[in-house]
Amino acid sequence: MLTNKACATSDKKINEEAPCILSCPIRQDARDYVQLIARGRFSEAYRLVRERNPLPSACGRICTHPCETKCRRNSTESPIAIAWLKRFLGDNFSEETRKKTTEKYPEKIAIIGAGPAGLAAANDLALLGYSCTIFESNPTPGGMLRMGVPPYRLPRTAIDNDVEFIKKLGVEIKYNTTLGADITFDSLKKEGFSTIFISVGLLESRTLNIEGVTLGGVLKGVSFLHEANTTGNAKIGKNVLVIGGGAVAMDCARTALRLKPDKVSVACLESRKEMPTTDFEIEETIHEGAILYNSVGPKRILGKNGRVAGLETLKVKYVFDEQKRFNPAFYESSESIIEADTIILAIGQASNLSFLKGQEGIQVTRGGTIIVNPNTFSASVQGIYAGGDIVLGRGTMTESMAQGKKAAIAIHNILRNTALQDEKWAEKPAVPDIAESRIPLIKKEQKHDMPTMPSDKRLTNFDEVELGFPLNTAVKEAQRCMNCGAGAFVDDNLCVGCLTCVRVCPFEVPKIKKGDTTAYIDGDCQSCGLCIVECPAKAISFKTPLEDRGKNTLDAVFQEKFIQGVKPLIINFYCQYSAYNEDKADTVDSLLFLHVKRIGMLGLGKVDPSLYLKAFELGAHGVLVTACKDDDCHFCKEREWVERRTRFTARLLSGLGMDTKRFQTHFVSSQNGKEIIEIIFKMVEELRNLL
Amino acid sequence: MIVAASKPFQEIKQMLSGFKKVCVLGCGSCVTICHTGGEKQVTELAAQIRLSAKLEGRQIEVIEDSTLRQCEWEFIDDVKEIIKNCDAILSIACGVGVQYVAERFPKIRVFPGVNTTFMGGPIEQGIFWERCGGCGNCILGTTGGLCPVSRCAKSLLNGPCGGSQNGKCEVSQETPCVWNQIYDQLDTQQLLATMETIVPPKDWTTGMENHPRKMILEHLVMKK
Repeated sequence: MLTNKACATSDKKINEEAPCILSCPIRQDARDYVQLIARGRFSEAYRLVRERNPLPSACGRICTHPCETKCRRNSTESPIAIAWLKRFLGDNFSEETRKKTTEKYPEKIAIIGAGPAGLAAANDLALLGYSCTIFESNPTPGGMLRMGVPPYRLPRTAIDNDVEFIKKLGVEIKYNTTLGADITFDSLKKEGFSTIFISVGLLESRTLNIEGVTLGGVLKGVSFLHEANTTGNAKIGKNVLVIGGGAVAMDCARTALRLKPDKVSVACLESRKEMPTTDFEIEETIHEGAILYNSVGPKRILGKNGRVAGLETLKVKYVFDEQKRFNPAFYESSESIIEADTIILAIGQASNLSFLKGQEGIQVTRGGTIIVNPNTFSASVQGIYAGGDIVLGRGTMTESMAQGKKAAIAIHNILRNTALQDEKWAEKPAVPDIAESRIPLIKKEQKHDMPTMPSDKRLTNFDEVELGFPLNTAVKEAQRCMNCGAGAFVDDNLCVGCLTCVRVCPFEVPKIKKGDTTAYIDGDCQSCGLCIVECPAKAISFKTPLEDRGKNTLDAVFQEKFIQGVKPLIINFYCQYSAYNEDKADTVDSLLFLHVKRIGMLGLGKVDPSLYLKAFELGAHGVLVTACKDDDCHFCKEREWVERRTRFTARLLSGLGMDTKRFQTHFVSSQNGKEIIEIIFKMVEELRNLL
Repeated sequence: MIVAASKPFQEIKQMLSGFKKVCVLGCGSCVTICHTGGEKQVTELAAQIRLSAKLEGRQIEVIEDSTLRQCEWEFIDDVKEIIKNCDAILSIACGVGVQYVAERFPKIRVFPGVNTTFMGGPIEQGIFWERCGGCGNCILGTTGGLCPVSRCAKSLLNGPCGGSQNGKCEVSQETPCVWNQIYDQLDTQQLLATMETIVPPKDWTTGMENHPRKMILEHLVMKK
């Protein structure tokens, strides 16, 4: 350490945040859990997700994933499947995560509604030390996740698993208890609930103000889904038409398809591009057999004998006016008819505020949402808070969870008169888009498809359509992540401006701008680590502690008690990018557990030659470096560096009189296949003869 | 910058034999940039020394440190506390730094870990060439910006000699003949006529013939 220079300050390290994190309403640590999966550190990844997200299994399935929309991999080919990776964690891992606080506060908090907002608020308030009770009108938890989202997208076990965790924190859920019917604000107060958080959601479907909506066979989307999702059979005819273009409309159509009518159609105002749901949902709906009518507006519902016979539509001129407000206009005399015997209205939801009867002090908007202070979430009556869809009007699952989480802190701050803040919500600039000139230097790696149930099997049941990533696919998908915002950074105090980083970077990221004396590495850094190793002044490091470049892992190997007796002991530095090329992920580990300790890294370009020396210094009898073959290199250029550095190390070691067999480098296509097992067996044998 | 090459490890090992606590001391300037005396090399060399001792069953404690420049008293003083308990210092700075350290710590044995080689720079990553002979009397203005003192095997002032073959020096086929390069450069600048001027013998007393050289900037000298 250059003692006359100040050390880097931590705030200098992370100045820009990954867009995936910033775009998430709950600021889920998307990049970091993806990076942990990429390294095979699944339990840590799960813990990281769960610490921020009270409903990971549900979220991994139905989140609208703005993180993926903003993912910088969009510039090279397609985004990382961030949500599916979260689902992979939620489905396969489960363990105690955050320790409950030892703090116990006396206030009892009532939460109305066990949907995403209520569950998130309860989760976070419980962690802060409050005793929470959720009052839910349904017999099961989840709110709209259960009533609205069909089980083929979100199996009920996923919701139950998530809720089980929240219950373990001490949260009590009272089912079949409706505010306004079974309990009242006054009765809650009498029971000692000084604070009430209202998160009842939007339980009603919006209706259309056109002729024919009262005809038999006109169903409301939310009621239809509720019926279908709880009883499994809602009453529909043979020719179903869903009106609406959002996620709920797609859910209605796909649910209707499973009830086996002759035909299901969807009609919406929006063009295909304008539809307010994900492409994936639309594609799956069409794939399963629904017919989509875009850019048509409902004029009137046609009837016959008091029942629906069809929908008369008008062609849409535009949906949004020049001020981008929702203000649809239609072409005159463009009428046409879509025949149907059942029409499901899925054009949005509305609130049911009947529980506020006698609580006129609580102010509501004309649209039927509760007015709260956006910072404190408190309604206009003391002790009453609200969040989620009942405040937002229309929100996603994650937006509702964010409301619940923020409300939990706000409630805590008011009750304790503190100013606790969640640093994750601090404003930060996003890592900018990848420079155009850099895109060709980054290896194209296509997004992995989600395995799905064959379409001919889907429509006979409500089983989950998306089957989830198997382990190898999950890791490979995670390894596409560019680690945005967490790559290398230069400590200005240590940089000597030698230009080494500028010259060695395969992505041409480091620069010394005119007038500057030190190098600067921007957000396009791909985290290969080559510059970190080559920097003669040790001025470059990774921004996050996730990447220790093998140092801690190596130390940990020699912390194990029995290790000193092992002979020969081989330390194998291997590239994790080829570690999941074969199904048998842990074959090598179990076969050669005794003699070989493996230290995996995302690219061996991160390994300092001095670490190879250190392995010997600590007591290894042999060091084996197994790197990827040329074509496999995620960073494209690491092979030459691995060759160069291992040659350099071999020279140093032979200078010390060490047998060359003790330090070996091999380039293999898989870190778990036959090839590597043979290499290891051979090396163990060679060292046995040598020692 | 000053370019230095790492000494063979056997030589270093020999120098340090018998010492129990050694400080490997890097320098954050020229030798850092030429990748032989920076913090990275301190780590590598220290690891080699420790490993060598381990292989031979010897005990040695190796301390790693660096200074911003070893050719400044103030910067050396920063490592005083660390060095004071060492038996020996292995300085991997240039010869200037080694001497400064030796002078500052007269009771401790100081050894050079590098061979100070020349004044030059990297022409590409990892390849360094000599570019200045420190003659004290610069003539680059008349030679197209190419130094015959440091780049010609004979330091000829009126070249090229008969050993210039196809643009290469007869001493080594790897070495370009600098007089060939000077010719080309002057041709580009339409100054070929200057090649005909015979340069008289240079005053070498400003150069290495006159050790030790000294420079005084009177306007900066402070009274003690």
